[in-house]
Amino acid sequence: MKRAGWYVVAGAAAGFAGVLGVHGLGTAPAAALGQLKPGGPGASAAPSAPSSAPANGSAVQPGSSGPARKATGTVEQYGYGELSVAVTVHGNQITGVSVPLLRTAEPYSQQLAQQVIPMLRAEVLAVHSARIDGVSGATYTSAAYAQSIQSALDKLHVG
Amino acid sequence: MTVESAPATTHAEPVMGTVFSFTAVPGAMPAAAVRAAIAAACRILHRCGEVFSTWDPASPVSRFRRGEAALGQMPPEFAGVLAECRAAKEASGGWFDPWAMPGGFDPTGLVKGWAAARALDELRGAGLPGALVNGGGDVAAFGSPPDGHRWRVGIRHPWRPGALACVVEADGAVATSGPYERGAHLIDPATGRPASRAASATVTGPHLAMADALATGVAVGGDEALAVVAGLDGYAAYLIRPDGSEADTGGIAFVR
Repeated sequence: MKRAGWYVVAGAAAGFAGVLGVHGLGTAPAAALGQLKPGGPGASAAPSAPSSAPANGSAVQPGSSGPARKATGTVEQYGYGELSVAVTVHGNQITGVSVPLLRTAEPYSQQLAQQVIPMLRAEVLAVHSARIDGVSGATYTSAAYAQSIQSALDKLHVG
Repeated sequence: MTVESAPATTHAEPVMGTVFSFTAVPGAMPAAAVRAAIAAACRILHRCGEVFSTWDPASPVSRFRRGEAALGQMPPEFAGVLAECRAAKEASGGWFDPWAMPGGFDPTGLVKGWAAARALDELRGAGLPGALVNGGGDVAAFGSPPDGHRWRVGIRHPWRPGALACVVEADGAVATSGPYERGAHLIDPATGRPASRAASATVTGPHLAMADALATGVAVGGDEALAVVAGLDGYAAYLIRPDGSEADTGGIAFVR
């Protein structure tokens, strides 16, 4: 009954950080993540580009309403370096995800991250059709809220 | 098909140690009136925060816990919460029990949901055609979003802050409990000690205070408490076990 597995949805940079730092998390649905693990297929990736990777996945959808709005998350430490994530929204649909900042300590981490980020973006854009109006979860503190998907929704006025 | 497509008005209010998020569907209501309704709802939340804060030693609930204030001396909100607590204890088969908490009666597992539901009532009473209130992860809604579809609520993944375990459609309440945000705060009423037999427990149903309490119960009791919720009219539960496997009672509208 694995229903949805590992959606990565909004601009919560912490989510990307979590996905990039894949060690020791969870159990069963790791299938989707196995390919992202250090030592996976990423090991033979193409040589790394400059340490800043402004890979913009923006794609305007016909029929989406309202002006495009963009929110950029804070710079997050993710264990192998730091990154920040920006999300573009048209109406109430996520139409683009980009990583305006990516800094890694070692070339291997950078190579890995650059392999992984496009996959994450594809996941986000595939999931954007699953429009959500709120996120239910264990009670967060005010500090944890700042990194939450709900916070990203509130900023973007998605609804 | 609805013709009303004015965007929703959103607001985030830090209160009760968390953040409450509002999504108000304005319909034909002037923006100023929508803002005024949200402000009134926020006043209700702050009032609930003052009455029910177990962190503030001077709050009414703290004084009640220490035996310094009798029931008759408590603010009017208290009786309502007490009645909800009794009903939820019975409905949960004892898995939710505010009277079994260390330090005395502690309605914390229900108060946030109760407060969010009262805030939502305020918005409904003000004449809004639809709204959603998210009380730090416990969601209540009425009407429908501006696009006319049903409200959709993501259930946070217990091990990934930026990921969802699933998405559900809801017309009433969606509450989730689990040990992942604030550590071992879930107390087993049977032992008075921290216990959690779920990574995440979600309950849907018509009333958020009850759903909130039942979610707390399922987070503590796991499969055994899930079976109790399965027998309740109008309520359904979805459980992610500590090993990552899942179970549900049926009756939840999962999106794909």
